[in-house]
Amino acid sequence: MQGDNFNKPDTMFTGNLSGEPIRVKIIGVGGAGTNAIDRLKLSDLTEVHLASVNTDMQALANSLVSEKIMIGRGVTRGMGTGGEIALGRDAVEADRPALEKLVNGCDLVFIVAGLGGGTGSGAAPLIAELAAAQGALTIAFTMLPFTFEGGRRKKAADEAMGLLRKSCDAVIPLPNDVLLQTEGDEATVLDAFGMADDWIRRAIQSICAMLLKTGLINQDFSSLKQVFVERGGKTVFSLGYANGENAVQQALDDLLLCPLLHIQEYSKKADNLLVQITGGTDLTMGKVNQIMATVSEKLGCRDNIVMGATIDESRTNSVEIVVIGTTVLSKKSNYEKPPAAAVSHNSDEPLVLDEPEQAEALGKTPAPPEDFTRSRYEVHESKLKKKKQQANLFDQNEFMFLSEEEQRGFFDNTERNLYDGEDLDVPTYLRRGIKINLKE
Amino acid sequence: MSQSKIIGAVEIGTAKTVVLVGELVGDSTCNIIGKGACSSQGIKKGEVHDFKAASNCTHAAILAAEKSAQVTIDSIYLAQTGRHLKGSFNRGMAQVSSSHNIVGRQDIERAVEDAKCKQLPVERVYIHHIRNPFYLDGQQVDEPLHMEGSRLEVGYWSVHGSERKLSDQIRVINAFGLNVEDMIISSIAAGSMVTEESEKQAGVLVLDIGCGTTDYVVYKDGYIVQTGVIPVGGDHLTNDLSIGLRVNRKHAEYLKLNYGHALVNKKARDEKVWLIGDFTIGDRNLPRFAICQILNARLEELFKIVKKELGRLGTRDYLPAGVKLVGGTSQLPGIDLLAGEALNLEASLGRSPDWVQEGLRGPDYSTALGLLHYALTGHQDGDVQQTSSKGLLRKVARMLNLNFS
Repeated sequence: MQGDNFNKPDTMFTGNLSGEPIRVKIIGVGGAGTNAIDRLKLSDLTEVHLASVNTDMQALANSLVSEKIMIGRGVTRGMGTGGEIALGRDAVEADRPALEKLVNGCDLVFIVAGLGGGTGSGAAPLIAELAAAQGALTIAFTMLPFTFEGGRRKKAADEAMGLLRKSCDAVIPLPNDVLLQTEGDEATVLDAFGMADDWIRRAIQSICAMLLKTGLINQDFSSLKQVFVERGGKTVFSLGYANGENAVQQALDDLLLCPLLHIQEYSKKADNLLVQITGGTDLTMGKVNQIMATVSEKLGCRDNIVMGATIDESRTNSVEIVVIGTTVLSKKSNYEKPPAAAVSHNSDEPLVLDEPEQAEALGKTPAPPEDFTRSRYEVHESKLKKKKQQANLFDQNEFMFLSEEEQRGFFDNTERNLYDGEDLDVPTYLRRGIKINLKE
Repeated sequence: MSQSKIIGAVEIGTAKTVVLVGELVGDSTCNIIGKGACSSQGIKKGEVHDFKAASNCTHAAILAAEKSAQVTIDSIYLAQTGRHLKGSFNRGMAQVSSSHNIVGRQDIERAVEDAKCKQLPVERVYIHHIRNPFYLDGQQVDEPLHMEGSRLEVGYWSVHGSERKLSDQIRVINAFGLNVEDMIISSIAAGSMVTEESEKQAGVLVLDIGCGTTDYVVYKDGYIVQTGVIPVGGDHLTNDLSIGLRVNRKHAEYLKLNYGHALVNKKARDEKVWLIGDFTIGDRNLPRFAICQILNARLEELFKIVKKELGRLGTRDYLPAGVKLVGGTSQLPGIDLLAGEALNLEASLGRSPDWVQEGLRGPDYSTALGLLHYALTGHQDGDVQQTSSKGLLRKVARMLNLNFS
């Protein structure tokens, strides 16, 4: 009897339950993107579709992905772009209908591309635009070229990043310079790229797991969209994993030591935060609380956090944390304030103050000579703000934790230090690809 | 005592603000009668980053110096650094006008005018015009007046900076109620202290690796032929360590000072050092190898940049007296070896001359001492090369000074 009831398609029950599934598509663009997609092995997520887009016929033919789209056959005759960004763009324009069909009907689109080359830098922003135009939540993972690959590729990558930031809901850059750091001395090139793939896999898997699996704390698609309300800002992205007895603490340490948190492409603070915790059956609410408290404190976000926690039976004794955050450009002043102020801060009041007003508000505490400064030259607000944080910094020094100011990187609000196209404030070892091995 | 003048030599450094008080007696003696120092705040890469913090520490240092000397300072000589300082070499030329082909005073003036006439973009001002030797028909001459020739040439190494950045520093001094008498770029001030006349004649490079910037000056034939600022210093070493080892700045600084070495020692691959060393929570051990790798990469790059900036002047033939390292970062062990290797020059650590009092001989004071030296020589009317453009220099300082009446 009951069985019958379930098998009938038009009962109230089934009608409600099946609904429209969320359609997720992961698109690899260009050579690096296609390679990454090929190596992407998502465990038990059958709902996710993979697709490759490339101008190079040979590379595409070797791809293992089922949905392959060859673009720009008329432009490059199937031979790749040879690093010409204009060619990459032309190729997309030529095959616009096919790409529209590719993203049509998707709710969530991940774009994986290596920037700096022709197809990746040229085509990825346009594909993102198409996906966003038809309403999909678009998240791009971009691999940035090594510094030693030269200034031209870096410039191309920077330009493409700018375009992607405009059309994507979040752009997560993975600089190759940093990837090299995470591997040991004996790591091969393959290992380093494998690392990038692994990061992309974990991030995608976390987001998908949050949406598609039923978790301890469940999140739906609309709440995910909440995190990515505004485009154009920098993102925060970090992964932490540990197993064993003290897994929660170790995973948190791993998360905060993630090299991606310490480079300039990323913001150190987020306005909106997505936290996905995956653990075994022993993941308790207490542990979840501990993780959330630390993450929100360290990343300075209290207002808008979307959190999901899923249980995976095979992962007893282990915890994985993935954090993706976005910053809201217009509210920048908000997250730069010390946490104490942020708590008492009334989020309803207008956040964008006129510069003089803000300077006054912040300058009130120190002695009057400030007026003298302002009368002649306006002082940039960051200078005033720093002063206020100083007090905070001294409190922190008593403990052996990273203080806010220190985490933000010492040269963050000074002029960029360009020499021959390289920013000298960025550590040399990163730019030269020298591996620093912290663990033996 | 009516002839004596109390001057303060101020170097607002990235790590430390140093003030020396000198008493100029007559035209030939300068007694150092007081000193004061204060750790700097609000200065990054040699430039004022937070005006209030920078003022506070500078004022504290001046006060301390005045107190130790028990006098009030009349005027200030200020050292300048920062990436906004740029230099260029300009040539001037004049045809000798007299019919006997004897160089006259007005010929020299015309050549000098010609060399200095290059206009700067708005918001940039000249700080120094440093005269290089005259050439009379291609022959180097020290004093061309009354010599015979038809074509007189002269070169000037001109240093200019951003008006706004310069006035930032001047306002720090003005806010204390003092006027800036003169500004001198740090490299020249430090260079004048650690080199001897014979070295300047032979050709020497002085590299002042400070906390926020690296200032350099090249001497050849007794003249200053090139100066420059590279906005990389000890702070970058600390920042690199802090990012690379993922520790905070305080710990990074501690590691740099205690375990840093400019060379990577392959043998010490497995040596570990403790981050804090007292078994506190959060203490962990770090490979010393990694520390040295990070420092080595940064310094090697710095020396490469210096070498590139020097171009053809950076060769062993041009600089037989090699390179002299001064500044706080020059205290890092092994840095002289690395510098020698990377620059391919004889490298040594610069020292202030022996007549300087023991307590002032350290690298902290060499720039301030140089300022006093400059103040003294500037008051003499002799033909000291680096002060030949005295008049203009004064004007710049006066122009940027705020009115205090």
